[in-house]
Amino acid sequence: MIKITNLHKSFGDNQVLKGISQHIARGEVVSVIGPSGSGKSTFLRCINLLEQPTEGDIVIDGQSITAKGACIDKLRQKVGMVFQNFNLFPHKTVMQNITLAPVKLGLMNQVEADRQAVELLAQVGLQDKANAYPASLSGGQKQRVAIARALAMQPELMLFDEPTSALDPEMVGDVLDVMKSLALAGMTMVIVTHEMGFARDVSDRVIFMDGGYVVEDSSPQALFSAPKEARTQAFLSKVLR
Amino acid sequence: MIDAINTSLFTPIGDDGLIGILLILNGLKVTLMVTFFAMILGAILGITTTMMKMSSKWYLRWPADLYVGVIRGTPVVVQLVILYFIVLSSLDVDKVTAAIIAFGLNSGAYISEIIRAGIEAVDKGQTEAARSLGLSPGMTMKEVIMPQAVKKILPALGNEFIVLLKETAVIGFIGGVDLMRAGEIIRSRTFEDSVPLFTCAIIYLLLTYSFTFMLSKLEKRLKQSD
Repeated sequence: MIKITNLHKSFGDNQVLKGISQHIARGEVVSVIGPSGSGKSTFLRCINLLEQPTEGDIVIDGQSITAKGACIDKLRQKVGMVFQNFNLFPHKTVMQNITLAPVKLGLMNQVEADRQAVELLAQVGLQDKANAYPASLSGGQKQRVAIARALAMQPELMLFDEPTSALDPEMVGDVLDVMKSLALAGMTMVIVTHEMGFARDVSDRVIFMDGGYVVEDSSPQALFSAPKEARTQAFLSKVLR
Repeated sequence: MIDAINTSLFTPIGDDGLIGILLILNGLKVTLMVTFFAMILGAILGITTTMMKMSSKWYLRWPADLYVGVIRGTPVVVQLVILYFIVLSSLDVDKVTAAIIAFGLNSGAYISEIIRAGIEAVDKGQTEAARSLGLSPGMTMKEVIMPQAVKKILPALGNEFIVLLKETAVIGFIGGVDLMRAGEIIRSRTFEDSVPLFTCAIIYLLLTYSFTFMLSKLEKRLKQSD
């Protein structure tokens, strides 16, 4: 579904991604782990062009998104994104946050969008918050609304950029549960995360990144119980206690 | 004291036989008119300039930067005098119109900076979230960024209005009779200093005070919806 070839990204002289090639199949759940500064967030952000790759090619559903003249807005409609800091629109209610894009982009009318939003809110366990403003929600609730908002575009692929890193520990479980059920429902997902337990239990595949390279790429069982590379072993020994 | 007030404000003075208070009121009218219309012109110029400054095209950005740079780098009274005596000298433009244009041009530069600052104060994550949903840059600006930026822009815009109101006190440099100049005329005709000058000062103060008061009410209301 996504084919990434030789992806490079530099910020000025700082080379963050040094040639990444990945193939992600439809329905696959891929977790990306690694130390901070390893380029894993940048890698994720390149997939929907929030960062413009310096070099390399990204093909989604047979369409190159890095080619000149590619319709970025159309591509992004198919790719949902969940941010570490939620980025809900503070001047809109939960309901309006969820319905804004599908209605403004002409995918559905307000009535249809509202109906879908109610279903999505039920799915993330926040039916009673439909008319609340983001400021009145907890971090975990905000993140679940953000997931619902991304799902409202009926994306084929969901990107998660450290979705639980800004949450209080007791909120993490609710968000992970929502993501887990999404994975079970067959959504294609790429998740940058520090939640090793989640990566191990939910992913089909785990990628370990360090220094702008993919160091190791295998099944969660293999990567967590028998990492091959020294750098992976060192990283895991620090984070798995 | 009573005498001074009487002479300055309520006795016919000068060749036109006007009493001082009428001169003051006429001047006040000019001050308010110039401030009001300059603010409108400034807002239009400010919005245009901001859009030019945020454009990706250098031939739009460059003139906008030059305009803001020149206006912010020179005193408004210099701009006013140059505009009236040089730029508009061959055209038959009256003093009030010239003042409106000069202060409008001046205000536009500051207003564009206010708008830009307001837009830049909105968290970058908001743009990213909107764009990641597939919204176009225009829709993102209209639906997500501007509604939040306005809350930051409005109070600063009110402040700019107050600054502008006070700055119009230099209209006398081109011979226009605003509130300040009216006070000066009375002073020169009656040789009374305190009454005309304090009258002007008090009127300016009342205007800015009442406006500040309205502004703080507005700010409170804007904060409520946060």
